[in-house]
Amino acid sequence: MLEFLIPNNIVCHAVEAMLFASISCGILGVVIARMNISSIGFTMSHSAFAGAAAGIFLGLNPLLTGILFSVLVATLLGPVSDRTRMSVDTTLGVMFAMSMAVAIFFISYMQYLGRGFSASGLLFGDVMSLYREEIYALAVLSIVTVAFIALFYKEILALMFNVKLAEASGIRTKVVFYGILFIIAVSVALNIDIVGGLLIYVWLVTPAAIAYQFCYSMRNMFIVAPAIAAVISAFGVWAGFEYTLPVGPLIAVLFTVAFALAVILSPKRRITSNKS
Amino acid sequence: MNKVELEGIYTAYEGGARPVIRGLSLTVRAGEYVIVGGPNGAGKTTLLESINGLAKVTHGSVRVCGIDARKAGHEVRKRVGYVLQSFYFDPFTPFTVEQVVMMGRYGRMGFFRRPQKPDHEVVDRAIGLLGLEDLRKRPIGTLSGGQQQKAMIAQNIAKEPDIMLLDEPFSNLDFSTREFVTRVLEGLAAKGMPILMVSHAFDDLPDRKIRIAIMNDGKITYDDTCDSCEVEAIVRKTSRMN
Ligand SMILES: Nc1ncnc2c1ncn2[C@@H]1O[C@H](COP(=O)(O)OP(=O)(O)OP(=O)(O)O)[C@@H](O)[C@H]1O
Ligand SMILES: [Mg+2]
Repeated sequence: MLEFLIPNNIVCHAVEAMLFASISCGILGVVIARMNISSIGFTMSHSAFAGAAAGIFLGLNPLLTGILFSVLVATLLGPVSDRTRMSVDTTLGVMFAMSMAVAIFFISYMQYLGRGFSASGLLFGDVMSLYREEIYALAVLSIVTVAFIALFYKEILALMFNVKLAEASGIRTKVVFYGILFIIAVSVALNIDIVGGLLIYVWLVTPAAIAYQFCYSMRNMFIVAPAIAAVISAFGVWAGFEYTLPVGPLIAVLFTVAFALAVILSPKRRITSNKS
Repeated sequence: MNKVELEGIYTAYEGGARPVIRGLSLTVRAGEYVIVGGPNGAGKTTLLESINGLAKVTHGSVRVCGIDARKAGHEVRKRVGYVLQSFYFDPFTPFTVEQVVMMGRYGRMGFFRRPQKPDHEVVDRAIGLLGLEDLRKRPIGTLSGGQQQKAMIAQNIAKEPDIMLLDEPFSNLDFSTREFVTRVLEGLAAKGMPILMVSHAFDDLPDRKIRIAIMNDGKITYDDTCDSCEVEAIVRKTSRMN
């Protein structure tokens, strides 16, 4: 898609992937930050991992079982947190531990049977080796994510403000809340196959955290966070190639530097003290 | 026409030893102005939330505007304004007063609809009515307690509900604002909107027939209509623990 701009095919694919994934993750990150569910990134990536391990053990396509298992966990997330009357983050913690257990169980068992393998290499993608189909998949995923947020924007806003008031206003909060959890969870699980864990964790949290230092309204956060995510990520790919540095970690560092700068420069720390 | 019909309802909280509301019946007609009184813990808040379906009614029937609130709670809540007794917004909540007032209308708008010009006009009017013009762009959490309460009242007026439930809406309001909000509510009641208000403040009741419903221990133990000047004496006499 961007070949006319970037002649090198690998770099071009990497930049395209970055843009799609970082924009959708940046937007989801705003919801995640506001709802205090930042562990959804680790949990869902490890459910995909557990599903893949189970798939290999059963002789099935690990990518497919990875996605299936994450969809299952994503579907359970909302109803289980409701039922237990605990924070979603606690449920995410339980699901994370369960996923790790499933993954470790299958991996250990296969090692015991002499069928050792590297599930993580299989599952955790790398932006430097992408196929065209994967870019298309990322594009579709990003569009679906953004469309979901756009379609349910006012309900999501109300939910992010206050669940009880949203409920009192007559919004079907459960439907919307389960939908958000589901879309985030599936988005993470699919993205992780393609771009890898590190970048997902960074994108889901840091752009929103940076945007928060400058934005006073949700609408601005939804614009600034993905913009920051896209710019820093594209710059990171370019810098990585120019100076032959590992791209993922480089981008992670760049985001952290940007976050530090944002905290230092944030206008929110200002206090008006003139006495007039 | 009956706007609220409760028949022998029981409402229970999870883990509670027994239902909080036990065998309560209540009918409210269009245009009635009802003050709900009674001691702390009598079940006043629970009664309001049984009406709009937020609390779990386990037995009996709840019909609000002809809708079964036990089956279609969200349909009821679209039509019923509810000013909560207590709320807290932290100072960093990134929502402005204006946005919060608009949120009152989100439910009744339904999915896939964005606020249109008429919605903004209604919101502007509600903000003007409560005198919040200067605060409309401020994050809600940076307002004082009373200002936040006004915003919540504005939110529910902007909702244009068929019924208004208010749970001690005056607790943080200054004298003149109480008077003013009372006049606004009276105006709404005159147009046929029933008002159910939990309140312990009797110095600013509208000058009209007031229905008093006193709750004690999960039941309505007194229910009658009187002039506004008699309300305080009746409440004193009928609320056991007051
Ligand atoms: N979430 C809850 N879980 C369990 N019990 C509850 C819950 N909320 C209220 N209760 C109990 O239900 C009873 C009625 O509570 P409610 O809030 O309806 O009282 P109230 O009349 O509004 O009191 P107040 O004047 O203090 O607001 C109380 O005994 C209270 O302890
Ligand atoms: Mg109460």
